[in-house]
Amino acid sequence: MRRYDISEDMNKPLVEKIKFFRERALKNKKKCNKERLEQPISFWIKKERLINEIGKEFTIILRTRGCSWALGETGGCSMCGYIEDAAIEEVDPNLIKKQFDSAYNNKVDEIKQDSNNYVLKIFNSGSFLDDNEVPRNVRRYILEKIANINNVKELVIESRLEYITSEKLEEFSDLRGGKYVEIGIGLETVNDYIRNNYINKGFLFNDFKSVLKKCKQHYIGVKAYLLFKPPFINEQGAIDDCSNSIKTLLNLGVNSISINPLNVQRNTLVERLWYQNRYRPPWFYSLFKCFKRSLKQKDLNKVRLLCDPSGAGTKRGIHNCLKRECETSAKKILSNFTLNQELIALDQEEFECNCKKKYQLQKRFF
Amino acid sequence: MNYFFELLANRIGFSRIGRISLSKERKLHIKTPNIIIPIKSALMKQFNFIQEFETHDLFIISKEIFLKIGFLREKFKDTGFIFHNSGTLEKFTDTLMKNLEIFTEDNILSIIPFNIPTTSSNKDFALKEIKNYLSNADIILKNHPNLNFGLSIRIFDYSELLSLYIPFIKENENVKILNLTDVFDNFSNFRGIINVIIEIKEELDNNLVLMASGRIIPKFYPLLVYLGIDLIDSSYLLYLSAENFYDTIDHLLPIYKVKYLPCSCIACKGKLKNLFENKHSSEKLNLLCLHNMISATNYMKKIKQYLTYEDYRAFVEKSSFDDTNLISLLKILDRSYFKYIRYETPLVQESKKVKCLGPSSYNRPDFVEFRERTIKNFQPEPWTSLIIILPCSAKKPYSESKSHKLFYKVIRKYPEFPSFQEIILTSPLGAIPRQLENVYPVNSYDISVIGEWDNEEIEIASNMLFKILDKYDETIPIICHLGNDYVEIIKKVASVLKNEFLFSEIHEKITSNKSLQSLENLIKEYKDKFILETTFPKKDYLSKTWIRKFIKILDYQFGAGSGIKVISNGLMPIRIKANNKIDLIDSQTRENVGVFNNITGQISLTITAIKRLTQTPFSTNFNSIVFNGEKISGNTLFRRGVLEYSGDLIPDNYVIIWDKQKNNVIGAGKLFVGSNVLKNSKTGRIANIYEKV
Repeated sequence: MRRYDISEDMNKPLVEKIKFFRERALKNKKKCNKERLEQPISFWIKKERLINEIGKEFTIILRTRGCSWALGETGGCSMCGYIEDAAIEEVDPNLIKKQFDSAYNNKVDEIKQDSNNYVLKIFNSGSFLDDNEVPRNVRRYILEKIANINNVKELVIESRLEYITSEKLEEFSDLRGGKYVEIGIGLETVNDYIRNNYINKGFLFNDFKSVLKKCKQHYIGVKAYLLFKPPFINEQGAIDDCSNSIKTLLNLGVNSISINPLNVQRNTLVERLWYQNRYRPPWFYSLFKCFKRSLKQKDLNKVRLLCDPSGAGTKRGIHNCLKRECETSAKKILSNFTLNQELIALDQEEFECNCKKKYQLQKRFF
Repeated sequence: MNYFFELLANRIGFSRIGRISLSKERKLHIKTPNIIIPIKSALMKQFNFIQEFETHDLFIISKEIFLKIGFLREKFKDTGFIFHNSGTLEKFTDTLMKNLEIFTEDNILSIIPFNIPTTSSNKDFALKEIKNYLSNADIILKNHPNLNFGLSIRIFDYSELLSLYIPFIKENENVKILNLTDVFDNFSNFRGIINVIIEIKEELDNNLVLMASGRIIPKFYPLLVYLGIDLIDSSYLLYLSAENFYDTIDHLLPIYKVKYLPCSCIACKGKLKNLFENKHSSEKLNLLCLHNMISATNYMKKIKQYLTYEDYRAFVEKSSFDDTNLISLLKILDRSYFKYIRYETPLVQESKKVKCLGPSSYNRPDFVEFRERTIKNFQPEPWTSLIIILPCSAKKPYSESKSHKLFYKVIRKYPEFPSFQEIILTSPLGAIPRQLENVYPVNSYDISVIGEWDNEEIEIASNMLFKILDKYDETIPIICHLGNDYVEIIKKVASVLKNEFLFSEIHEKITSNKSLQSLENLIKEYKDKFILETTFPKKDYLSKTWIRKFIKILDYQFGAGSGIKVISNGLMPIRIKANNKIDLIDSQTRENVGVFNNITGQISLTITAIKRLTQTPFSTNFNSIVFNGEKISGNTLFRRGVLEYSGDLIPDNYVIIWDKQKNNVIGAGKLFVGSNVLKNSKTGRIANIYEKV
């Protein structure tokens, strides 16, 4: 295949469209008051797959300025609408600390008393390592605070590649307190053309590989996010692309792969395409097919494969025919697979829906 | 075997009959036009599906699982396959490399897929994507120069983007099929569709096979074939079946509306009717798929039948009649693109009754060709002293009808009748000089006549009549023996010509004794009013009705003045009853100058006649081919043997073949193809040689 050169051409027609929707959304967005800025966007505890066992996740979503990529000249990613949750204006570092404290204080006792091990996920709908979103002192504050919770065994944050520098990785080495740290990177696909022309991600696979190497040097784990069925990709294309990405990442030795089936978020280019019937979120059947095609059971000893789709079983998220039994069954299969990391779970259908036939016959046209 | 596609015959419009050879190793031909049946695991599990389609000759597969030698060489060894991966180009390349042996040796051709992106955000986006696809396809094509491929063509609703593909296709000779994947998804953009077809026909090798896929329903098939599509992918029927649609060809009915199954296929005769009420039955979907596939396959058989043996254009009109987009496409093609389509449409349709169904038929390419040729090539006989305009008749040729026999009786009472020019007014052909009544399509058309003409019919007839009459001296009297329904036409023409128009009195009907008497009186009164400057020639053979016809038919075929050059000594027609032909023998030299075919209304000339025809002034820019040599051997002229050709060649017309130096005529042939095909092709049959030196 021809190698895609990012400096050669960003997808200007797509960038214009993305920016149009982004600007329109931001224009109508209300300013956040101080009260809102003292509270995180959300936080929760739920069952989750840890590196070696089934445990729980404690997820905190902080409200920061917002993803610099989305607020920049390129307009951000074509499917991402998380900027809607962000403050847009700069957020006082003390307020971010307060947000963290609010969630932490709410759940810390529950976690300490729980016999399960935990993974703490601190997300900010952007890059945790971007100083403009989460200042250095805030990061230190958070890391110091969680170092004392013994049953939090893992810490997961997210960042774009450009903010993952050796200097910042060293912050974790100093403060991790024996916990396994993993950085989630929105790689989306190993295919440079798809990533930059349809998703507008703005980096190359080689950049990812360099960062992976750097993380390994600092004993920091990498979780690669793969987008399942990006805009402009058809159902079979999604299977082909995602399974190619999984196979490549397996060989590369990433620690975790998190598959994100696309969900249609508000005020995005994808939402426009979806309204115009030019995009349909993926089918569960395709996702399962992709897993079966790209993985062997022994691969799951080397890598953790996660998939906890937003909006699953709804018309905006990954879904089959929207019949309740069908969606519930599919979600259960997926959950069993990710928690247990066993491929056999994908074949344990409790409810065989006739939409499978429809899917087989129509797949070429989605 | 050195061809991929072989054209067997051109038909009306861009339609054609041909055959393709998918394998370089084995001699297996697949006839076109044809429907491609999808093979899917879900269908292959049905015994009925396999039983029904096991004899079909072309399938499309999209999964690697079917690329197995056992499957291809044992189960379907006499079948052609098209491989079209519906995922990414990377996956396709991977599959190609893994199965190179199969793609090289078996009856299978792969199409380089262009499934991604599924849509475009705007024209610039589409343009960028096409360029990217072509640069990737280029690598595949260059890496496998000995493997034939199909190229996917997507225009994202911007027909002008087709131009990006043209130089690429010209450059890559291993592209053999053009798979138009989204061109027919939106028939409301019929102008865009026409632009794509015209550009392909104008710019690309005629031996490229055109395949249509995408959102195509069987109702579109006749028009697609008319537009020159050779292969139609029927996969969209699976999608429609899954949406619970039952195809009756005329309509796509939601299954809940079907109360009477208008079909007796294996699915309809079987369980299907019992499953209508079952909303969630996968068996129902299986049977719907089966019915829809059978019905589409049968429809394609019907298309082939009409294409080969009947007036295909009428079939296309009939099948498109209730779809405004289809009929608009046909009308625009007729009106605005005749200059392209004329070089693809055969001059005659042999042994076919041509039905005119209404306004959609008025400007059929064969009708327009007749009108334009007649207006251009018909020259008045210099001794014409009177013009008589008559109505048409249902029986063809007109002179064999009862009414025309009665007119004849009246006209022939006067010994000067050879100096009378009869013109027959008819819809939708226009104005027909009597001498051309045996020519196609005058000898074959049929239209319902109710005594009322619509505006377009009046416009066509008056326009043609004016152009013919305008060639005559303005003082020649014109007698009109016509019913009231023709008056409007004459009025329009009379208002712009200076000639005197005289109307016979019509009593009750046009053939009543009183009416005929009135015609007779008028002829008697006006036959000598016009004083001829040139007296009637001494050559009395020119007064013979058949010879007058042959002269004008030759003019019609080979250009004004041709007839008199060939028939310069008089003629002795010898009727050969066995094959409905007339041998034309020179009265003086006793040489055979040609054969008139009563069915086509055409004359095939002998070398002797062609030599007369090509006496100066004659240009090789007219109805000619310059052969790349001195002498023709064999009965077929191939493209490689053609050095130069004139730009006016039309399929089924006769062509003069010159030697390399353009000094001598070395043969005559009947064309398989027209100038446009010659322009863009490097191979293929061009003409059947029936005379050679």
